[in-house]
Amino acid sequence: MALPSHISSSAANPSSARTPVYALVGNPNCGKSTLFNALTGLKQKVGNYPGVTVEKKVGTAYSQHGQPITVIDLPGAYSLAARSPDEAVTRDVLLGRRADTAQPDRILCIIDATNLERNLYLVHQILDLGRPVLLVVNMMDLAAAAGTTVDVARLEQELGIPVIACEAVNGKGLIELKLAMSRADLPLARHAWAIPAAIAPAVTELQASLIAHDRKAPLVARAEALLLLTDQDSVRVAGSTPLHARTGEILRTWQQRWEGEGTDWAGTLVNSRYDAIGRIAADVLLQTGETGPTASDRIDAVVTHPVWGWLVLGAVMTLLFLSIFTLAEYPMNVIDAQIAHLADWVKSALPPGDLRDLITSGAIGGVGGVIIFLPQILILFFFIGLLESTGYMARAAFIMDRLMARVGLNGKSFIPLLSSYACAIPGIMATRTIEDQKDRLVTILVAPLMSCSARLPVYLLMIAALVPGDRVPLFTKVGIMILMYALGTVGAFGFAWLFKRTLLKGAPPLMIMELPPYRLPRVKDVALHMLERGWLFLRRAGTIILGISIVLWFLSAYPKAPDGATDQQQLAQSFAGRAGHLLEPAIRPLGLDWQIGIGLITSFAAREVFVSTMAVVFNAEAKDDDTTPLRQAMLAAKWPDGRALFTPLVCFTLMIFYVFAMQCISTIAVVRRETNGWKWPLFQTAYMTGTAWILSFIVYQGGTALGF
Amino acid sequence: MPHPTLHHRLPLCQLAAGSVGRVCELKGDPQFCQRVREMGFGESARVTKVSGSGTILCSVNGNRIALSHGAAENILVEEIARR
Repeated sequence: MALPSHISSSAANPSSARTPVYALVGNPNCGKSTLFNALTGLKQKVGNYPGVTVEKKVGTAYSQHGQPITVIDLPGAYSLAARSPDEAVTRDVLLGRRADTAQPDRILCIIDATNLERNLYLVHQILDLGRPVLLVVNMMDLAAAAGTTVDVARLEQELGIPVIACEAVNGKGLIELKLAMSRADLPLARHAWAIPAAIAPAVTELQASLIAHDRKAPLVARAEALLLLTDQDSVRVAGSTPLHARTGEILRTWQQRWEGEGTDWAGTLVNSRYDAIGRIAADVLLQTGETGPTASDRIDAVVTHPVWGWLVLGAVMTLLFLSIFTLAEYPMNVIDAQIAHLADWVKSALPPGDLRDLITSGAIGGVGGVIIFLPQILILFFFIGLLESTGYMARAAFIMDRLMARVGLNGKSFIPLLSSYACAIPGIMATRTIEDQKDRLVTILVAPLMSCSARLPVYLLMIAALVPGDRVPLFTKVGIMILMYALGTVGAFGFAWLFKRTLLKGAPPLMIMELPPYRLPRVKDVALHMLERGWLFLRRAGTIILGISIVLWFLSAYPKAPDGATDQQQLAQSFAGRAGHLLEPAIRPLGLDWQIGIGLITSFAAREVFVSTMAVVFNAEAKDDDTTPLRQAMLAAKWPDGRALFTPLVCFTLMIFYVFAMQCISTIAVVRRETNGWKWPLFQTAYMTGTAWILSFIVYQGGTALGF
Repeated sequence: MPHPTLHHRLPLCQLAAGSVGRVCELKGDPQFCQRVREMGFGESARVTKVSGSGTILCSVNGNRIALSHGAAENILVEEIARR
């Protein structure tokens, strides 16, 4: 590869003793994480929507000669003037403001060849930082298909830095990239960008003050001076260390002067960068074919249509729930049979006693009750993977934007909410793409109302108990399921509306969001993501749920009742039973007894623990000889006066409770981290569980009054 | 920036689907204008309206960008071609 041969800065080169550190930056959705995975062999999540990566991730790549190179994958950003927390992570790492991350020695910029000008804007800002930059032009194949090509040699000449054409998805250009990355010296950019005359004196003055008073390196000071002028919020730009008073004074003086003259300084700066980029693009972009409406345009005409768009969204959801019920049945029966087989084997191999009960009722019963839902979890994640990798996520956000505007948010908030159907934790992380702090907080507060995959086992168990008989019309089951998901979603919107009008007032934010081109889903990515989530589910079953089940078994087996007591009496006077009895007054108005109360207590750790708890609590009553399916054991459960415990109304009430209640310690922990304190997670737990109780009360009492 | 224009200016939300416009002026919240410019939506950018009356979808330099109605109201364009 012909590289420009002008002077390179030796100071900026990584010393041979240290592993060079590269920061991987670029616009959202240009393939950073795909390239990161290709370089490091890691399995960072990738997807076809902006905002998949919201936190930095460090990995190690190896050069062609086996030397290690550290690579930091960063969230996508359109500009160094960050507008949202995820972009701020990128800015802070690049400017060396993160205490936990060393300032990268070199920057690996990745740009999308199909969208050269917009992508070069960030590159243009990064070249100001005066650090060696390697430029990767990704998606050359897609650009060719769209009828354009990028003259890489010419771009290299224009910018004065190494430029490598690449197709990260299929590994093309990786060897050239690794060779360039392991070079001992990288040239600094020949960065000919004239700051507009009206602004230049201010930049010089600010730069001098930043060097003298804020102790910044000269080039970083220049870049920060430019950022101070393009970002209205100077506090945010300065990061945690506030600006020196003198620097702030200079900034204000200039701003007042420009305001008086009517100069739009920020706009002038952006436009002059775009002018410079436009000249470069005119030289390096070659039109090779006709450009007309693309396939994506034609699909979007339907999918983003005000009427058809809703129908498509509805069809996708219905298909998802239909598959969860129909496709999962066979593998579920297989798993069920295997678990029963295992329990029977243990029973025949061990003499009767506490150990045998612990293994069969505690461990196998509890864990088995949960892992039977693995097929459904896999199907759910397969669908979510498809939505994420085809580019449909951003379209769903587009369709929802108007509805979201009614509740005071915008379509961007819908992506975290949609992710929360899988699990609230990645959903809450994804709120980092939301610009406004209040809107982000509202989205965090309502995200756990979206029914997550851990609720799926609870719903499925309750639906099985709710609709008696084996030949139940599929549509009844699917209908109840969709109703639960809809309830959670409506609840989330309702509370967002309420919070935006009371606690966190503010105008609905304006949305500007890029819709990625549609891509065929990559089977490997979807399968990998699905298996990873499936493994996570199994691991939880094997650790947390196994642990809780064993502890619960002890708590329900001790202290021992006198000989001759029934299983029911034993459970009632055990530790677990006493805890359930303590809770019973609070849940009795909801039609729930102390045995279900035990489940409500244990499932505060994680919702699916409810299922394993029911298995331990009710299978404890089953006779030794054979393993009763959980559903039948539950249906046999009675109140002391002989009424059935799990009436359809009670099952329905329980489902409503689980739609709204905050039963997840991990979510509380993540909200605490993302909001920097206990205030919001505690508030969230209180409002969600309070709502759950009130709605369950209304449903149960109303249902009873109506004679159900 | 005065343009010698034959066409009158209209907000982007009123541009007909399929029409092409040139951005003349960005109004409203300066922070938002900043980001709109940084995403290639600056003065003199060529915009093709794809669809939408509420939330709108348009294409700039070959990438599709969705804008809230409130945002599209603040972007003034002059129509330069009709499909």
